[in-house]
Amino acid sequence: MPHITTSALQRADGSATFTSNLYSILAGVNGPVEVQRRDELPEEAYIEVNIRPGSGVGTPRERYLESIVASVLRSVILVHLHPRMLIQVTLQVLQEPSEKLMKGKGEVAVLPSLLNAAFLALVDGGIPLETTMSAVLVAVDAAGGVVAEPSIKELLICQSVHALAYDLQGELVMDQSTGVFDMGIWEGVAEVASERCKAAVASTEDTDEMRDTDESGEPWLRTALEEKVRAANAWREQT
Amino acid sequence: MAADPSPAPTSLSFPRSTFAKLTPGPFLHAHLKQNPPIRPSGRTLTQFREQQITTGSLTHSHGSAVVRLGDTTVVCSVQGEILKAADIPSPPDESADNEDLLETLGLLVPNIELSTGCSPAHLPGNPPSTLAQSLSWKVRTLLYGSEIVNPEDLQIMFTAPKIDEEDDAPVPEVKAYWTLYLDIMFISLDGNPFDAAWLAVMAALRTTRLPRASWDADREAVVCSPALEHYAHLTLHTTPVTATFAVFSTANPLKQRSEAESWVLTDPDTSEEEVCREALTVTVDGKRVLGIDKAGGRVIGMEAVEECVKLTFARWKEVSTILP
Repeated sequence: MPHITTSALQRADGSATFTSNLYSILAGVNGPVEVQRRDELPEEAYIEVNIRPGSGVGTPRERYLESIVASVLRSVILVHLHPRMLIQVTLQVLQEPSEKLMKGKGEVAVLPSLLNAAFLALVDGGIPLETTMSAVLVAVDAAGGVVAEPSIKELLICQSVHALAYDLQGELVMDQSTGVFDMGIWEGVAEVASERCKAAVASTEDTDEMRDTDESGEPWLRTALEEKVRAANAWREQT
Repeated sequence: MAADPSPAPTSLSFPRSTFAKLTPGPFLHAHLKQNPPIRPSGRTLTQFREQQITTGSLTHSHGSAVVRLGDTTVVCSVQGEILKAADIPSPPDESADNEDLLETLGLLVPNIELSTGCSPAHLPGNPPSTLAQSLSWKVRTLLYGSEIVNPEDLQIMFTAPKIDEEDDAPVPEVKAYWTLYLDIMFISLDGNPFDAAWLAVMAALRTTRLPRASWDADREAVVCSPALEHYAHLTLHTTPVTATFAVFSTANPLKQRSEAESWVLTDPDTSEEEVCREALTVTVDGKRVLGIDKAGGRVIGMEAVEECVKLTFARWKEVSTILP
């Protein structure tokens, strides 16, 4: 289960940290704020994503990750509510595995953490959103076994690695897959990932026998959002 | 005296090109609404643009290709340069398998140049845009990830002559490496830059011929044979082919999601890309899938992804026969 803190930054409109078993990401959101003239869009908000790597300065790798995160966030944020404005998302990688993941696996592996952190920061910043989404990392080992939330050792020897994101309605928001696989394996991966994302927002009160906590994970996103709502309504209960 | 003939009443209907410029979204929608749906370019939904591949146009590089995909034109040049093993600060472990060798040493260096005046969206002379940088990274990832280049082709070996009869047979050692610089210039850009760039990279790599290089122990330098018959092709392991799809959707946050209609457009051009938010790129090699890259929206579900992968397999069959 990932570790989440919200409102980690004092001066940002919204912020969150998201720590999975591999990466720790700090996300900050500012917006809606005034936009630079060249980025201004007449009918919707411009989404700017900045990614800072764990060490060094941004490279084309970060530009590539930024373009993916921005396009996913654009499909989740209600951009038409803030025309000619800017919503700025800054993601800082705080911790990453010391082993270097080659052949594009490293980029795919970091994406779910980046997206989850960015989404939680957007919620914290009160940016109007169309839906709730969560992302999950899935790896396929040499025998074709599907492993959700793989460890770094499993990632180093896996055949393929997949980052998928689903929304509350169970629609596929993002899929980044790399490695060698076939469509049968991909279907299995998509199923495991959608189960995981469904479990992340599953009702906490519903102690139904159907829900197998060990299989598909904890409702981490719902817990985080519920805590957020409780904190926001605390003043109401005091008066 | 006859009065001036009054000017013909101006018509309120626009010519097609004005309609396309004023409201690109409804223009594309009007085309796609027809039965069967047809795109403004006259293509069907699943039709790729005509491609044209010319190789060996650049005489100074070791391999080159010009690829046209509709109105998108790309030049790719492959230039080999020599990296001496002694100049590598932390040389890789000899015993380690050379699966990750290319990436550890960075022996394949792609660079995409969009600031050539190829499209109004990319001003000439500007620093590399986010698109150019992320495209370069995508090409780089695919080059290393698909293991297309055989690491042995890029190693320059040297076997020390046997001095003493009692010595063991000398082991060949790597004295230098070839580094391949892949410069990808867009001459004109009309959508789908990644497919065009990758096709150009493939065509250029398949026609790349490197001179025979050997280590000269006396001069401590690498010497290349100028003889043309000593130039050798690279042995490429795989032929990955990519296909990009864009999704046009009438989905709107102000409308019910169920009312939205959507169409998947194969190989989009700029006018289509501008009004499509969601995109999907599939990379395949023969029967294997090497990558799926989907972002930007929530219209494409599992079935649509599988449909696109099928189309990409068909595309692979077609492209692998026309590649040089």
